[in-house]
Amino acid sequence: MNRTNALIELDAVTKSFASFEVLKGISLSVKDGEAVCIIGPSGSGKSTILRCINGLIPIDGGRIRVGEIEVHKLRSEKEMRPLRHRVAMVFQQYNLFPHRTALQNIMMAPVQVLGHDRREVEERAHRLLAKVRLSNKADAYPGQLSGGQQQRVAIARALAMEPQVILFDEVTAALDPETVKEVLTAIRELVDEGLTCILVTHEMKFAREVAERVCFTDHGRIVESGPPAQIFDAPQDPRTREFLGQVL
Amino acid sequence: MFGLDYSWLSDPVYQGWLLRGTLNTIGLALASSAVAVLIGTFGALALSLRIAWLDALIELFVELFRNTPPLLQMLFFYFTLSTIGLRVTDPVTGLSVPLLSAFDCALVSLSFFGGALCIEAFRSGLESLPRSVNEAARSLGYSRWGRFRRIEVPIASRICLPALTNILTNLFKTTSQASVITVPELMYYAGQIYNDTFRTAEVMLLVLLIYVSLVSVLSWGMSRIERALAFPGYGKGH
Repeated sequence: MNRTNALIELDAVTKSFASFEVLKGISLSVKDGEAVCIIGPSGSGKSTILRCINGLIPIDGGRIRVGEIEVHKLRSEKEMRPLRHRVAMVFQQYNLFPHRTALQNIMMAPVQVLGHDRREVEERAHRLLAKVRLSNKADAYPGQLSGGQQQRVAIARALAMEPQVILFDEVTAALDPETVKEVLTAIRELVDEGLTCILVTHEMKFAREVAERVCFTDHGRIVESGPPAQIFDAPQDPRTREFLGQVL
Repeated sequence: MFGLDYSWLSDPVYQGWLLRGTLNTIGLALASSAVAVLIGTFGALALSLRIAWLDALIELFVELFRNTPPLLQMLFFYFTLSTIGLRVTDPVTGLSVPLLSAFDCALVSLSFFGGALCIEAFRSGLESLPRSVNEAARSLGYSRWGRFRRIEVPIASRICLPALTNILTNLFKTTSQASVITVPELMYYAGQIYNDTFRTAEVMLLVLLIYVSLVSVLSWGMSRIERALAFPGYGKGH
């Protein structure tokens, strides 16, 4: 791949928590509009990769670039702001703000952080709620919504920042099987629209369907990456084979 | 009834004392509550910055004022501060008088006492927030101060309200100890009245009723606030 035209580029990224080395040199590049799935066993560093890309976790070594922003050089929350605008994140536990309604959750950051016009943001929020099929829940508090509904609000909240990239961190892992589908449908639409997405997921079927590329991580390294057909049907590395043998 | 004699209550002097005492009690309670909440807010904010020397300073303040009797604190402020030099010259009489009046001393001590309790209550409220909510706020670009103001305080304050109600009702009742340093509040005038009339039981019964009504209004108000601020999934919210 031509590395200069990648939207996101990680180069030999390392990260340790105390004496535990979570990332042992991660290199990855993602093109604009690409959907990449990261799969792998628990503790292999999948979620940490996402948190490094949007600067939630500072890295120890290597380089991370998103567009023209050099993430590893950002030091303060203020310097991070352009990055936050460009890269949004959706979490496993939804992490909605419990004291605000669905609509307010979506509107807060664009108004309070980006300083966008409130009326324009409200229109945007209603449009996004319609997109995730929750127009009738605009005034509901997170505590009144099901897990799947909360996660769709969280997706709308991420979209309201008008990001170029969305990071999905095991967004269906905490959901009932029957609500997983509604969330995956919402994500699939975003991928189809050409939004750049990096998804950490345990939904192998979904990864195969939606991803253009799948990365398998184990013990802090990307062991193997390639198109889903290759990873799922003809894995090269024995560790990939073993993992897929357990989960498929 | 029950052999109680309330004929003294028709005396306008005693009526005035009771009224003035009640107003002073309310004033002292409101003022010290307001300052205590301010101290609690800024103390908890300062603690959340995790600056070692500031943490130590605040902890010292909390331990000092939470672990000593408020009555002792009032006596300390009343007798010690003017002795160690906090005095001003009265422009009218030309006499050297304490900088802080009895009322001021009671206000300072009650505010510090309540403030120390508020810092602890607010700190525990802030710490009870799931870390993940904070992470979400960071990922949306909120600064430290933005997170504190828009997310942490609004949620934590709701969690803290029951604890705050406890602190404020206790503070209200503790104002009665200011009578010892001659603050003319309700308890002080009660003493004046029964010293005059020897109707101790009657005066105490009346004062008791006044305190019950005032503190009930306070706790009723707090529970109204709690209900109004509740959101689904937490506390009184449905």
